[in-house]
Amino acid sequence: MSDNSSDECDTQHVLYKNRPEWSDITPLKQNDGEHPVAAIDYTEEFEDCFDYFRAVVQKKEYSERTLELTKTAASLNPANYTVWQFRREILKALNKDLNEELEYIGKVILKQTKNYQVWHHRRIIVEWLQDPSKEKYLTEKSLSEDAKNYHAWQHRQWVIKTYNLYDGELEYVDQLLQDDVKNNSAWNQRYFVVNNTTGFTQETLNREIDYTLGKIRILMENESAWNYLRGLLLHDKGGLSRNEKVTDFCETFYEQGNRSPFLLALIVDICSEKITNNGGGDGNNVYTSARAKELCNALATQYDTIRAKYWLHISETIENQANEQNSMDESSTTN
Amino acid sequence: MCYEMNQLHLEASESTEIQNLYTSKFWACNFKKDKFLRSNIKMCALPNIEFERDLHRKYLNRFLHHSMPSFLANMDTNRTVLAYFCIAGLDILDDLDKISEERKQQMIDWVYQLQVCNAEELVSGFQGSTTLNTMDNNNQNSTYKWGHIATTYSSLLSLLILGDNLDRVDRKGIVQSLRSLQLEDGSFKGAKEGAENDMRFVFCAAAVSYILNDWSGIDVEKMVDFVLKSISYDGGIGQGPDLESHCGSTFCAVAALALSNNLEKLSKDQFHNLRRWLLYRLDTGFNGRPNKPSDTCYSFWTGGALKILNAYQFIESDDNPQFVLMTQDRYGGFSKWVNSVPDPMHTYFGLAGLSLMNYENLKPLFCELNCTKEVHDRLMTIHNQWS
Ligand SMILES: [Zn+2]
Repeated sequence: MSDNSSDECDTQHVLYKNRPEWSDITPLKQNDGEHPVAAIDYTEEFEDCFDYFRAVVQKKEYSERTLELTKTAASLNPANYTVWQFRREILKALNKDLNEELEYIGKVILKQTKNYQVWHHRRIIVEWLQDPSKEKYLTEKSLSEDAKNYHAWQHRQWVIKTYNLYDGELEYVDQLLQDDVKNNSAWNQRYFVVNNTTGFTQETLNREIDYTLGKIRILMENESAWNYLRGLLLHDKGGLSRNEKVTDFCETFYEQGNRSPFLLALIVDICSEKITNNGGGDGNNVYTSARAKELCNALATQYDTIRAKYWLHISETIENQANEQNSMDESSTTN
Repeated sequence: MCYEMNQLHLEASESTEIQNLYTSKFWACNFKKDKFLRSNIKMCALPNIEFERDLHRKYLNRFLHHSMPSFLANMDTNRTVLAYFCIAGLDILDDLDKISEERKQQMIDWVYQLQVCNAEELVSGFQGSTTLNTMDNNNQNSTYKWGHIATTYSSLLSLLILGDNLDRVDRKGIVQSLRSLQLEDGSFKGAKEGAENDMRFVFCAAAVSYILNDWSGIDVEKMVDFVLKSISYDGGIGQGPDLESHCGSTFCAVAALALSNNLEKLSKDQFHNLRRWLLYRLDTGFNGRPNKPSDTCYSFWTGGALKILNAYQFIESDDNPQFVLMTQDRYGGFSKWVNSVPDPMHTYFGLAGLSLMNYENLKPLFCELNCTKEVHDRLMTIHNQWS
């Protein structure tokens, strides 16, 4: 039987101890000691397969039949990293066609999308082949089932970074955000792409801020988009508080009566930043400690009550900050 | 909120593709909870759900002393981790005394049986299971008989919790092997070969060094650098640079900094943003990432990280214990979501999360290591004996 048929599990499984081609191997029993802990009631198939696995590992037998054995072992426990390690050594020793391996592990991954070992195996095979051409497709397939699968995103970032495959990624991210504007993984990927391609130049920054504000307009209660906006402003020379696009946006929504906790939190932080940066010096400054205090109070009592203690703490911190700033300003004017 | 609840239901039922041996029991308990949920439209007005202390004790002991059903064979290489969750959970419940001294000694011996002392290949540590062990290679080094950083960490803690003094631990060998697991970027891979590298193993490396009171196996500066580079634009920390913030990796990163005495390497802004991001994880319970449903294990991952960052006191919500309590199974144990299948990991984290909430006289935790304060105190006396 060829090693490449992936449907072996569906056909009647013959125990290795009943296979004539394995009769030269003496199976090795697992030694779990006299008093095992967290024991598993293995099936006969599991025990049989691993009895032979132990035997051939000991012998370091690299052959077609052991390659096939690792496939059975991996199907019984895909999380066994030794099985994958041994399999890789066999693949190398036999100089196997790695494209076939890629196809096989791709199928396994789509059945086991949240398993570290199978993704790791995939990565090593891609490295051996130096062929990243199928990885975007595979991760997309996996992400179409769970758009937030961490393993898939990790693999995708690795392949994009290693082989410089940024082209088209922003479009893909955009598609995902159109499907689900709350997809935090997609927002993270957006940051990853911009950060590693154009970087946050003023032009990119403007474009991204427009994009994000547009998404926030669609859904105010979306932490992911607000977080991304803050991430963008990390790169704005003016910090949180000097980007008029952002402050106008916030004030307009606030005046219209919007009290999203994310909106209020951002205004609080803008106040805090203004206080440290230019004290009370600014004439028509609406970002005062009094306003921050009022908003913290509103968050604590009405709009974000599960974090009430936190907002009261922030309110206090900002007040202290303002007092410090005032006394600093005073001492500098008296001098 | 109701919408969130529905979401929770949907995802929970999707997650049960794994064969569930306890199907009939499972549905019996579903029925009770469903009725209960329907009568409670709003999460914030939940009545008390009883804490099933006794059932959890039984549940955890069952995993330790009896054979697990065969469909859990995919846990085979992580039996020591599973054992640790059970032992540590029983410790939080203050129920270890009920296990006989004889059985405790058997468990200690079983863990030591998995110790690998192999200075030549630099693979010293603890195996996760006896999968590769035979009568022939008993107490001998052989192919792939390697320690794994996560199972080494779990095994050391299990030994400590069970009352062992780590006398038989090959401290020097483990520390030497640790050194070979650190990569150029400062992160750690899990084992000599065939294992990935990320923040989980950075934590394990720090925890092992802390337990063995020997940091010579780690280039701490590089490790801290890796942690700082993994801080995301949103303030949280991912499994590595560029990756999405996640409470699991955030806990691992924060604990690694704390254990190595490097929390002050976080700038004022980083510290502030990290606390904010973690506090935002509080929803009905704690979630692990923005816009993901709450999950029992994050009551520890998130709660523990907040505790280390001295921000846990800002959490004041009755919903959180309620959420965790709702994920109890009628036959003992906790699952990730309401109406899901329980497992030892979520049972441990459920108990640990409740302990952080000072719930029901559960033993207080030393979050940085993921054990009780009592165990940590004992570790400190052991360290004194070593010096
Ligand atoms: Zn979980």
